[in-house]
Amino acid sequence: MAEIIFDYEACLLACARGDHRALQRLYEHDSSRLLGVALRIVRDRALAEDIVHDAFIKVWHGAHGFDPNRGSARGWVFSVTRHLALNRVRNASRDVELSDAHEQLAAPAEHVEFEARSAQIHTCLAQLDPARRQCILHAYVDGFSHSEIAQTLGAPLGTVKAWIKRSLAALRECMA
Amino acid sequence: MNDDELASEYVLGTLPHEQRADVEQRLRHDAPLRAAVQAWEQRLLPLTALAPPVPPSAQLWRRIERTLNQANKRADKPVPWWNLLAVWRGLAAAGLTATLVLAALLWIRPPIAEPTFVVVLVAPQDQAPGWVIQASDRQQIQLIPLGVMHVPADKALQFWTKADGWQGPVSLGLVKPGQTLSVPLDKLPPLAPNQLFELTLEDASGSPTGKPTGPIQAIGRAVKVL
Repeated sequence: MAEIIFDYEACLLACARGDHRALQRLYEHDSSRLLGVALRIVRDRALAEDIVHDAFIKVWHGAHGFDPNRGSARGWVFSVTRHLALNRVRNASRDVELSDAHEQLAAPAEHVEFEARSAQIHTCLAQLDPARRQCILHAYVDGFSHSEIAQTLGAPLGTVKAWIKRSLAALRECMA
Repeated sequence: MNDDELASEYVLGTLPHEQRADVEQRLRHDAPLRAAVQAWEQRLLPLTALAPPVPPSAQLWRRIERTLNQANKRADKPVPWWNLLAVWRGLAAAGLTATLVLAALLWIRPPIAEPTFVVVLVAPQDQAPGWVIQASDRQQIQLIPLGVMHVPADKALQFWTKADGWQGPVSLGLVKPGQTLSVPLDKLPPLAPNQLFELTLEDASGSPTGKPTGPIQAIGRAVKVL
């Protein structure tokens, strides 16, 4: 349960003051999770480590401009990593065999520390039709594009786009 | 696609490259879009827990640290602030703010011992006004805080000025956040129009070099009151 206690905001403040050890504490605390997030999206170990490297440098240099009023520090660190990974895969038109046995998503229940916060999104996801839920998860967790999702689910591209648009609207309403 | 839909698909990751780049470009100055993206980040963040953690290789931290050290070395010779474009851009905004403040002051208050110079010091990032300087004669200025700024315990705010033609900025001493301060200018040439004032974050005992070394907290230049 030490996870909950980690003070991301204090850590970013210390980074902004030039304290390398603060960044190292963040690294020790989150690098495995961040690498997991990046690896799911870029699907290449060396590339995923590059992303995590770049993310920590970005967090270090951006720490002084971080505004806690705009959202959680923890969320920001994860968003920085995810968007670096997404930019990489959207930039290079990737050509990865999607039929390769893609590991099953880890069950959310294994990650106790997220349970409280994640309850709402999971409740709302559960209300979606399974195929639409898959669209959201493939996009967010695997970084799939519309056409990759269409290919994986064997659904027409236009249908997938519409499903995603409506699912996001439903999630927004459900979580309001 | 409206901006909230755009934000949702940006965060979800399904936007194509060009649209992602557009959104990232807009996020720099478009506050409503930034708020929409932030809300979606918060909504979907718990889904990151679905990616199983993967321990990084032993070299990764060393690599990050090496990059930081290289960046530090480069940062050892910073560009002096009076040569930074952002500062001059900020000053243009500060000048405008000063004009507006002055217009308001003139409107509200009949002319009783008006200041002859006014400076509005703004934060360089968001141009939020932080302090006002009033000078009713050219030998004494008053630094008036508009709020209480947070300063780390081991740091202090140092007050600097530089007029056109000076070699570099001169220290006017340390300032406590929230404190109204009267500063004599008798050791310096008289206050001049366009004279720069700034507050930087320095060690508790002030800048070790006698020149600004820390990040600028607020900056502005003197505007003459007619």
